[in-house]
Amino acid sequence: MQISIAQFLEAAQDVCDLTVASGEKYLDRSIREGALNRPGLALSGFFQYFPQRRVQVFGLAENAYLKSLSAEDRRERLTQLFEQRVPCVVSTRSRHPLPELLECASAFKVPVLKTSLITNRFINQATLVIENLAAPSMKYQGTMIEIMGMGVLMEGPPGIGKSETALALIERGHSLVSDDLTVLRRDSTGAINGSALDITRYHMEIRGLGIIHVPSLFGVASMRREMRLDLVVRLERFDPKREYDRTGLISETVKILQAEVPAVTIPVAAGRDIAHVVEVAALNQKLKQLGHDAAKELDEKLVRALERKRLA
Amino acid sequence: MSGTPNDTPTMSREMKILNKHGMHARPAAMFIKVASRFESEILVEKDDTRISGKSIMGLLTLELYQGSVMTVSAIGPDAAAALDAIEELVNRKFDEE
Repeated sequence: MQISIAQFLEAAQDVCDLTVASGEKYLDRSIREGALNRPGLALSGFFQYFPQRRVQVFGLAENAYLKSLSAEDRRERLTQLFEQRVPCVVSTRSRHPLPELLECASAFKVPVLKTSLITNRFINQATLVIENLAAPSMKYQGTMIEIMGMGVLMEGPPGIGKSETALALIERGHSLVSDDLTVLRRDSTGAINGSALDITRYHMEIRGLGIIHVPSLFGVASMRREMRLDLVVRLERFDPKREYDRTGLISETVKILQAEVPAVTIPVAAGRDIAHVVEVAALNQKLKQLGHDAAKELDEKLVRALERKRLA
Repeated sequence: MSGTPNDTPTMSREMKILNKHGMHARPAAMFIKVASRFESEILVEKDDTRISGKSIMGLLTLELYQGSVMTVSAIGPDAAAALDAIEELVNRKFDEE
């Protein structure tokens, strides 16, 4: 794992109210373990199992303990700590770091950050931020829409009508997550989350119209920043020679970032209202998540009915 | 069919359902898969109800259980081949018991 302090700072700035107290030029150092540490034991001189790859957090207790030491001891312990090549130090509760800490940090080229949060809250928030930064992610060619609480990613060859279908879905009251290119990220629970690239968020391209700004045309409710991925819809040109599953009994999945995501293939033939079909596919998937599989239930009902007739 | 020219081959064959569970969703899907491979129109008839052999909901409503006999008709240039293929599927019990 390699996350630079600069990356961490950018991602955590808002949620953690972080600022740089010193060492602005050392922000390219990297966090090498996705957790944070309160270095109490290390400050008392015990360095066995010291997690030096983690962000070191100085809260009220650490500061009070340092202050209780003689100036000499204080400098010695801090030197020992920074000798471990820690990625960065964070001082919580807006406390200005002790002068010895700043001196040692700059001697070892370690940046010192400051947050207004209390220690526990900072650790919780920062852990989430680091986990997110470290989460496996990829860019996926496809348009993502939120349909009544379901994240649906539409993929298919260029010109098949992904954006047009998305537009029709937006007009029906659903929300756009991203057009054409979606950033997918696997979170710590294994779920896949989709979002737009920052630069193109809120925009989509419609052939013949060019680029449009979705919330200006359809209101803020037409946009959604991030959405869990529940279903992949593959749009493909209708091929009369191909045999499509007509029952929905066969469950298709697609592997994305090591996760199996349910998928459906929808043949696109002229005159078919694809937006409507995609909407129903999303609802049907929602029903399946609730434990109702319409195709399977009808089949079971049929088998029972046929069995009764056979024995009658 | 009334609108069909006289020279279009029309063939019918009676077929008996042999698999234990009868014509439920999976066999019905296999049936239409085979039927859709042919250009011919396929019709399935049982107890005065006639449906298209390319419609899954139609096939399910016929309630074809084990031992039922259906009349499968094919209208089109490849009628004979279509009936052969369907009969073969029915006789191998849709790969079920």
